Amino acid sequence: MAERVTVTLTLNGERRTFEVPPGRRLLDLLRDDAGLTGSKEGCGAGECGACTVLLDGVPVTSCLVLAASADGHEVVTVEGLLQAGRLHPFQDSLVTRGGVQCGFCTPGIAVTGAAILARGEADPSEQARLLSGNLCRCTGYTKVIEALQDSFAKGGHAKS
Amino acid sequence: MDVPVREVVRPGSLAEALLALAERPDALVIAGGTDLLVQLRDGRKRAATLVDLDRLDLAGVRETNGGIEIGAATPMDRIAADPRIRRLHPALAEAAAQIGAWPIQCRATLGGNLANASPAADTAPALLVADASLTLVSHGGTRKVPVEEFFRAPGRSALAPAELILSVLLPTPSEERGLRAFESFVKVGSRREQIISMVSLAGRALVAGDGTFSEVRLAFGSVAPTPVRARRTEHLITGRRPDAELRREATRVLQDDISPIDDVRAPAGYRRIACAVLLARFLEEAAHG
Repeated sequence: MAERVTVTLTLNGERRTFEVPPGRRLLDLLRDDAGLTGSKEGCGAGECGACTVLLDGVPVTSCLVLAASADGHEVVTVEGLLQAGRLHPFQDSLVTRGGVQCGFCTPGIAVTGAAILARGEADPSEQARLLSGNLCRCTGYTKVIEALQDSFAKGGHAKS
Repeated sequence: MDVPVREVVRPGSLAEALLALAERPDALVIAGGTDLLVQLRDGRKRAATLVDLDRLDLAGVRETNGGIEIGAATPMDRIAADPRIRRLHPALAEAAAQIGAWPIQCRATLGGNLANASPAADTAPALLVADASLTLVSHGGTRKVPVEEFFRAPGRSALAPAELILSVLLPTPSEERGLRAFESFVKVGSRREQIISMVSLAGRALVAGDGTFSEVRLAFGSVAPTPVRARRTEHLITGRRPDAELRREATRVLQDDISPIDDVRAPAGYRRIACAVLLARFLEEAAHG
């Protein structure tokens, strides 16, 4: 495994270059090479959504993206949702509406939720469909959807 | 954990990609990777090299004079949202919207869903009822293959070594004055999202004012070694009104069109019953619009 590939990407707004093994997953680049441990590995098979990040603005499960394939693209992790040091409006709503319990799924839910706001999707049943790739065994999702509604009501989709 | 590959090639042009594949017999093509990375990690597939199509820009939907052409790297969320596909090929839009969940749909590509050659590939029945054809390309040239001839066996397709899917063409569906077109896609699983189909059905028919069906096309997933057209059933229904008697007859004839097996997702017997239920619902919904 002497071979390495060069991956240059925009990571949370900053241009970064990494030398990684060819088979590295984006999730591992983020956690191990970039030290951004917000994205979590749950299933490793794209089913739980704990590793969700934005790739060119759309949510993807970073356990199923090769780091090499992210070369030249833009990645935003949960760490990158912070705006001027403040929580993203949806993260704020997750806190105030009790949408966080054990927290393991929360980074993925925060990222998908931010993407739902950015898309301007206000319908709760459509929001639930878009969130269906993020498994949460604690909240029962109701408070997560309430948090989305809350951030919409506060105009979070315009700010995100 | 890293995926066990020795090399990732990211060609900047189709010619480079085809050359890279021709030179490396143990290479696999990667596009969205949502299925391939899982299979590489658990050892169901092996490759020394991955040829990544990301820089080729094979994504996109365009209208041609024969119909709609979808680039092989077009992700499911774009297919599900495309107004032309939703209008002319609603079964395909619906199938794309039911694959995995949103983060998968943003990444998984149409070409990948087909190249994988799973009997459960959800876009396959929709493409079968659309009479779609695939444009395949290799270092040696380009050829067109009807989707019905593309699937050979579970995991096996008409793709030759070093060949890739360039695009999928969906001919404009036939319409006739006074006839109403109905098309739908339904899948059965243990939950609505993030599941591999136990059974799926894409159906299309033209329905006359008196309820007579014509141009009937039915295609099922997960009930045979490949996605299949239910031709005996189509033939039975064509030119008739699906009243209670015809529905019973169709349910019986349908059993000869399919050959389901027991697997981890569902027993064969369940699949046979589920197919009959999906067919009955399709006939009901098509009749009432």
